[in-house]
Amino acid sequence: MQEIVESALFAAKRAGASYVDIRSIQREEEDITTKNGAVDAIKHTGSKGFGVRVIANGGWGFSSSFIATPEEGERVANEAVQIALASSKTKLEDAKMSDSKVYQDRVPQPVKIDPFEMPITKKIIILLEADKAMNVQGIVVRKGSMHFSKEWKTFASSEGAYVEQERIVSGAGISVVATDGKEMQVRSYPNSFGGDYQRKGFEFIEEMDLVSHGKEIAEQSIKLLSAKQCPSGMMDIVLESPQMALQIHESVGHPTELDRVLGEEASFAGTSFLTTDKLGTFKYGSDIVNITADATIPEALGGFAYDDEGVKAKRVYLVKNGIFVGYLNSRETAAKLGLEVMGAMRADNWNKMPIIRMTSINLEPGDKTFDELIKGIDHGVLMGTNKSWSIDQNRLNFQFGTEIGWEIKNGKIQEMVKNPTYTGITYEFWRKCDGIANKDFWHVWGVPNCGKGEPIQVMQVSHGTAPARFRGIQVGVLK
Amino acid sequence: MIGKERVLDILKNVISLSSADQTEALFMGEESYLTGFANNYIHRNVGGKDCSLSVRVAIGKKVGSAMVNSFSEDAVKKVVHDAILIAKNQRENRDFVSFAKPEKRKDRDFFVEATANCTPEFRAEYVSKILSKTKAKGFIGSGKFETNALEVAVANSLGVERYTKLTISTLKSVVLTDTSSGYSEFSSVDVNKIPLGDIIRESVEIADKSQNPISIEPGKYEVILTPYALADLIGSLSYIALNARAMNEGMSFLIGQIGKKVVGENVTMYDDGFSQETISLPFDFEGVPKKKVMFFDKGVAKGVVYDTLSAYKEGKKSTGHSLPQPNPYSPYPMNLIMEGGESSKEKMISHVKRGLYVQRFWYTNPMDPRNTVITGMTRDGLFLIENGKITKPVKNMRFIESIATALNNVLELSKEKKIIYDMASVTAPYARIKDFTFTGKTEF
Repeated sequence: MQEIVESALFAAKRAGASYVDIRSIQREEEDITTKNGAVDAIKHTGSKGFGVRVIANGGWGFSSSFIATPEEGERVANEAVQIALASSKTKLEDAKMSDSKVYQDRVPQPVKIDPFEMPITKKIIILLEADKAMNVQGIVVRKGSMHFSKEWKTFASSEGAYVEQERIVSGAGISVVATDGKEMQVRSYPNSFGGDYQRKGFEFIEEMDLVSHGKEIAEQSIKLLSAKQCPSGMMDIVLESPQMALQIHESVGHPTELDRVLGEEASFAGTSFLTTDKLGTFKYGSDIVNITADATIPEALGGFAYDDEGVKAKRVYLVKNGIFVGYLNSRETAAKLGLEVMGAMRADNWNKMPIIRMTSINLEPGDKTFDELIKGIDHGVLMGTNKSWSIDQNRLNFQFGTEIGWEIKNGKIQEMVKNPTYTGITYEFWRKCDGIANKDFWHVWGVPNCGKGEPIQVMQVSHGTAPARFRGIQVGVLK
Repeated sequence: MIGKERVLDILKNVISLSSADQTEALFMGEESYLTGFANNYIHRNVGGKDCSLSVRVAIGKKVGSAMVNSFSEDAVKKVVHDAILIAKNQRENRDFVSFAKPEKRKDRDFFVEATANCTPEFRAEYVSKILSKTKAKGFIGSGKFETNALEVAVANSLGVERYTKLTISTLKSVVLTDTSSGYSEFSSVDVNKIPLGDIIRESVEIADKSQNPISIEPGKYEVILTPYALADLIGSLSYIALNARAMNEGMSFLIGQIGKKVVGENVTMYDDGFSQETISLPFDFEGVPKKKVMFFDKGVAKGVVYDTLSAYKEGKKSTGHSLPQPNPYSPYPMNLIMEGGESSKEKMISHVKRGLYVQRFWYTNPMDPRNTVITGMTRDGLFLIENGKITKPVKNMRFIESIATALNNVLELSKEKKIIYDMASVTAPYARIKDFTFTGKTEF
């Protein structure tokens, strides 16, 4: 790799680049899926390549290749400069980056059980046992999945950075579909859309105990078919932590991305209501709402040692005591606003240019127990596990649906309800948060599929959260 | 581009190295470039080369897969070895019968040299023309200009051997003002056929006319959906209804409805990879030639798409709609086409007493797939129509609607259609639809 780095850095500088970085990734992945008592698919994927990012004549350029040779490093660097010079034809000012400390480091990721050392047969047994547990009459689809990845990433820059880091990820989940011929209901464990993911080894899969939860979700999905519809109207809600993760993701994570705020994602993902005049003054939520971006949480999926600009991982506040105080930023956007860079530039692979992404965006724990959240409600709904989501391109009007709900009356959880949905305007919703469960109920959920950017990049992020209570929310919009 | 001869040699080598009962090799190579712009300048300008070599083997009914992004001798040996090792450790898949068998159909390349050889300077020149206009108007230009060249080849030990090249270029313009936005997009295999002037005109005009929108109350409205909005709506059916997987998993609203009238008589929709009105590969990722599959013929449900596994399971033939295997989303309609009618956008507007003109939807997501209920927001242009004329811009609104219901409520379709390409191709006309349900609104 060292030879390719030197070749690319030298070629890009020679071609006129004022800044160059090169990032290479070698990645191995394994995916196993089961469906209705059989192994649906097992796939092993290996990939490697590198990308070169440059500033030349004040414009940005990026090129990449899967051919890892010094000659290709030189060709790709020259192409990146050619692209940057084309960019510069439309520049309004020269691209600039804020200063950042330059690191040379090597960061392996220790895990208890290397998932690639664990035999496939053992993984299959777990998934098929979970499948068996889900085999309840009335269930039409039983699915299970495991995903493992291991990568070695090298980042070097013309400023002298040289950082190598390892990343090992394990994830799994199970789900069922029940139908009575007229409608279908789904349930998942431990979360929907692939389950839960962390930067851990196979021990994370063992901790999940998929098999013990199979029967419960199967029975719940059957029960949902005959459950009553979620009530409609303005009422109080408690969101379980998997749904809170989605709420944080869509209504805090994305709107605090500074590239969106500055219009750089207007073409696809959209912009943000969190305009720069709001920084430090805007009442984002109630006083108990504290939200951090923390890439330093050891096993969080959104964590890392260094971002893809070589900035060391940090923990910063986005919302403190309800006030909006920070953005997710990059060296370039931080320079534009005179902010300190916090390290949120990430690319999903070697062939993509990094953009601002969530790290681990967390709602800090509150002081309530789960029972105390419920006890404080006269009439409301407890909602769990995301089923559907939609939010406008400024991240204001959202509507989310969950797999399951339970009506709450007089401080007690009552009968199960189906098709729960709730809707609101982001900041109005967070201002209605009056209870957050304590650290005993806090969990960092891994979200492996956050899409953003053109070309699209699918990023691994995470959200630490406990269940939380919101007052006077529009519930049950689905008729 | 690596070229047909060399790619097929790589695939034949894979097959010769394999000791499995059946072996399938899929090669995909791409040279992709994207010039992104925002705030009236090019802010992201990227590109590169990548490839993937996927190998699937079957030992009896045990199937294993492995993929690598290299075709070096060592990488090819390893990927074959990995796939066989996985298959040996697999359980039997009771539904597996065979990989695809060879079928005769002439391949067709959707390939244009000018697109494959497009330079960053060419893309920057087009973008500059958009930005000249937005700057002159005091607006903000953003968007993308993307040019891609792809090579896809499939071979298997049963005799399938196919290769094709494809180019795709897409120019998108999203224009922002202080209070509004406008949108236009066009995709073509030929970069020289992108109508730059039309894209500039549409996106700037919509942004201009939608400034200072009013807020109106949610409720049922007659709507005119542009091809962008209609493609979003019907494209959702591809995943939740129009494929054998959705039928098998109890998700599709077509379960038990084949042969019955399920949408309006003026709705005919099909998938046709050989149509001139789409952007397509001539075969799927198992090497099966694409066949025309009718979904709704004058409102009557006719069928869904299949890949080899789902077809064998039901004793049918693959329709040529496999995604790269293994894949939880396969089979999938990649070339959805809705037939147009005899009307035009202008005539439709003149027929609306009070309704909404929707330029585009955003963040549509199924809420109740079995009943085709989805939600989403309007974006980049929403207008009130009163007494046959567009009168006022409107702040964006949230809708919740059953797609099947909307397709039962189609009043008119335009002759004009547009190809919308975003990984899959959807071709749609303008549509006038009654009683479309809006449930919420936002602040802009």
